[in-house]
Amino acid sequence: MSELTFTPVIGIEIHIRLKTDTKIFCACSTDTDAPANTNICPVCMGLPGSLPRLNHNVVEKGMLAGMALHCTVQPRSLFFRKSYFYPDLPKGHQISQCDLPVVADGYIEVHDAEGKLKKIRVNHLHLEEDAAAMHHSASDGRLEGASTSYVDYNRAGMPLGEIVSEPDISSSAEAVEYAMNLQRRVRYAGASDADLDKGMMRFDANVSLKCSDGRWGRKVEVKNMNSFRALERAIEFEIKRQKKILQSGGEVLQETRHWNDAKGVTSASRVKEFYRKFIVEPDLPPLIVNQEWIDRVTAMMPEMPDVRANRYVHDMGLTQEAADILTDDKATADYFEACVKAGANPVRAANWVRTEVLRVLNETQKKISEFRVKPEVLAEIVRRVDDRKLSTTQAKEVFDYMCANDCVLDDVVKKLGITEGGVAGNALAEIISNVIKANPDVLAEIQSGKDTKGKKFKFLQGLVMKESKGQAKPQEVVEALTAALKK
Amino acid sequence: MELYKLDLYEASKGIKDRKFSAQELFESCRERIDSCEGKINAFITRTDNAEPITENPYGIFAGVPTVLKDNLCTNGIRTTAASRILGNWKPPYDATAWKYLREAGAVLMGKVNMDEFAMGNTCGNSAFGPTHNPNDISRIPGGSSGGSAAAVSAGYVPFSLGSDTGGSIRQPASYCGVYGMKPTYGMVSRYGLISYGSSLDQIGPFARTIRDIQLVMSVLAQYDPMDSSCFREKNPDFTHHEDASIKGKRIALVKEFQNFTLDAPIAEAMKKTQKVLEENGAIITEVSLPVVSKYAVACYYALAMSEAHTNLERYDGVRYGYTVNDAAGIKEMFERVRSYGFGSEVKSRIIAGTCLTEPSRCDEYYVAATKVRTLIAQEFIRAFGECDFILQPVTPSLPHKIGEEDEDAMKGYETDLYTLPVNLAGLPGLSFFTGYDDSTKLPVGLQLIGPRWSDSEILNAGMILERHLGSPKIADGGVK
Amino acid sequence: MKLSREEVNDIALESRLLLTEKELDGAVKYINNFLDILDSFKELDLTNVEPFSFAEALECPLREDKVKAFTNTQGIFNESEHVDGSYFKVPRIMED
Repeated sequence: MSELTFTPVIGIEIHIRLKTDTKIFCACSTDTDAPANTNICPVCMGLPGSLPRLNHNVVEKGMLAGMALHCTVQPRSLFFRKSYFYPDLPKGHQISQCDLPVVADGYIEVHDAEGKLKKIRVNHLHLEEDAAAMHHSASDGRLEGASTSYVDYNRAGMPLGEIVSEPDISSSAEAVEYAMNLQRRVRYAGASDADLDKGMMRFDANVSLKCSDGRWGRKVEVKNMNSFRALERAIEFEIKRQKKILQSGGEVLQETRHWNDAKGVTSASRVKEFYRKFIVEPDLPPLIVNQEWIDRVTAMMPEMPDVRANRYVHDMGLTQEAADILTDDKATADYFEACVKAGANPVRAANWVRTEVLRVLNETQKKISEFRVKPEVLAEIVRRVDDRKLSTTQAKEVFDYMCANDCVLDDVVKKLGITEGGVAGNALAEIISNVIKANPDVLAEIQSGKDTKGKKFKFLQGLVMKESKGQAKPQEVVEALTAALKK
Repeated sequence: MELYKLDLYEASKGIKDRKFSAQELFESCRERIDSCEGKINAFITRTDNAEPITENPYGIFAGVPTVLKDNLCTNGIRTTAASRILGNWKPPYDATAWKYLREAGAVLMGKVNMDEFAMGNTCGNSAFGPTHNPNDISRIPGGSSGGSAAAVSAGYVPFSLGSDTGGSIRQPASYCGVYGMKPTYGMVSRYGLISYGSSLDQIGPFARTIRDIQLVMSVLAQYDPMDSSCFREKNPDFTHHEDASIKGKRIALVKEFQNFTLDAPIAEAMKKTQKVLEENGAIITEVSLPVVSKYAVACYYALAMSEAHTNLERYDGVRYGYTVNDAAGIKEMFERVRSYGFGSEVKSRIIAGTCLTEPSRCDEYYVAATKVRTLIAQEFIRAFGECDFILQPVTPSLPHKIGEEDEDAMKGYETDLYTLPVNLAGLPGLSFFTGYDDSTKLPVGLQLIGPRWSDSEILNAGMILERHLGSPKIADGGVK
Repeated sequence: MKLSREEVNDIALESRLLLTEKELDGAVKYINNFLDILDSFKELDLTNVEPFSFAEALECPLREDKVKAFTNTQGIFNESEHVDGSYFKVPRIMED
């Protein structure tokens, strides 16, 4: 009997927090740092008589996120009520576009096992409200044995976009690449900060296995993954678990399972979930998006990272690797392009940004927007190196100094003892050594003591001055040349 | 002159002309309430123990007292929807409709009785006991806005607010002998109205004259961004025009309704009213509403319950209202709060609504009902191509005695056939007074409905009817 | 009867309602009666009928994304018996 093989069939649902100032249905702030239960009002607390009011910007950010995933904006979408009883849901139902979303039909590209590009289809992105945050511990921080759960309604009504993929994913690696790509793209679009640490991006995965003998495992929904690593581990765990069941001739149950990150396992959800068809939200008329609005949002869309990286490779001569690193974050790519625009050679600017700039940002844990060395200044440094006004070593010295201090380029050059616009030190030594090498006969004359009147020395001195484009100081040239000739 | 007998227009004018003070009016109303309330039980919460406070002595209402149905949120004042589940809940905000009234100078005397969560048509399905009809205290005042109708009928206040989801303003208005207006859906903001069937609910006024209904509507019918279903196609004009005419207006009777039997006083009222209309130049015609007459009741209850069960999911005891403090788990807490908090009728409707929207039945029932609703709305649009208004009964019979509720609940629902299609199509409807039945001395009301946004035209026709049929008198309220 | 006592009771539990025997009797009768009435929809051809959503071709109004804090949060807190410090507390939920 031939060995059975299993093909994972995976779909992912990703919730992203849309970047707005107020909640989806009320004017409460979306500030995630606010003290518990301060951003609340009758609407997000589900008080009797309150009614939802849709935030314009939520729709716009949803459109941007959708466009970033190659989706099409739907001219008419609708909100529904999705019912379940849980204290994190103030109304006992969630208002969600689940059945008729604002954007649909897109895709994200990932690399398959053979490294080939593969499209993962995005079924849609729909708008919905977040639930309140629950803390399952005592107020004094005790975790074990706590008999109560604590509810913070600040999160209730935060705007979410739920992005639902088709089951086109075949491995945990593809899943992670899909999720990372999605994160990068919605950040580029300015639709979401998608900050995993702040719970702004959360994952659920639908995992099933197709067996080579024709059997299909039932779909299992795995919930509660809050990091790329958790997504990867949960999918791997679930594939293994289901494989084991199928190999032993068992049946995989259709169920919802929760990922326990600490234990590294999924377990069957203890609360029975009721799958109820949704009723139309009677308090919100249909959401109509006209062409003019679509055009306006389309115009707001920045160039996406893959397109940008392609341009760097084809128009600027960067390697794919360099282009990918630079375009990973939009602000970095913007910085790089500002450098190039200010006159820096793209390849060398790219090297500077990916090695020096990213290193310093990483060391100092700062954002590029807070970075002291502005792109125009870095461009000037790069140019001076090209023009041999600075040696590479000097340039790095200058750069490091400028990263740590508020100052202007020319002052730093002076301060570091680098001759004003001049050639000195190593650069000068380099020129001298080249001049000497190029004139072995003159060298021989001087070393044999024939240059009594110093004419030959003056000749070499003149060549050095000429090579340094007059930027070397005569006194220094005399000293350095004398020293070099004595060697 | 006993000031409580004044209507809104007279009372407001009297205060502005300094014939009497708001304080005097307030006290006269309070005395009237004190003398009748033991018999009527219209109030859930009285707020008339303090000095009257008007926010706007120059407003349209300038110190005139009013009461609100207890499903309208009042900042800091107990609001119960006549349910145990809300306990002593004091909303932290005002319903927009009340805010508009307050800003126009109205003074709140209290919150009045209703069927729990507006589910019912007797005003007997309340955690606070039944309200009695001021015209005959052995009878029901109708519902669900029975307290609002009884308060105006008994002379507690010249006007009040109720809400109408399937007839909850028009039916008690008719039973109590006052005018009651259910505005076009979208005309009055629902913000702060505790929802029953959100796509059907609408707030409206009760008063003893059409002019007063017009006054209240002129204040209520303002756009409010807090309610996304509140919108304006054009601004309605509720100015009282004495010279308004119905000459040449086509007023239709519904063909299919002719097959249903009406109690004699109501059939007589229909004839009398047609005569008045014709004498005033209107043309009586007929329209056919086959889908409405056959399917509206089922459609209405399917949708009202589907919406209601989701509107009532929020009552879990965590953030407000009745709660328990010793539950072992969250499920137990929710179950105990909801099982004790909701009355039987509400529970039945929640279960029915849940049942209709289950995945296995949703298409067959809920989705089908939303489609039937489309047919009903279209049928009315067609009908109003052939006529200006439709004249029909509010109910087929006069109010029954308290405690004589029909055992068969669904039969009780069929008496709503004349009122609830109006909510399904989002139309305006006026319940107007036609006179008193000779034998029972009970008031008899009928209904005039029109196309969407025809509210002010309906009121103009209502004014002509009032002129010829007479205005209702203040009921004795069980007090001789 | 379309729905048995057990089925009605299950639906009640799903709605977090515990019914007394009498209430359950009433609910069973009520719902079955009601479902029979709803069967009348089958007489209509609804295949090409759009579900009704709003009375007019109404568009959802959109709110400007501008923070306006609710000033009476204390009024919200005052109404709950489950406030503990700045939190609302509920019995521990065993769900992971």
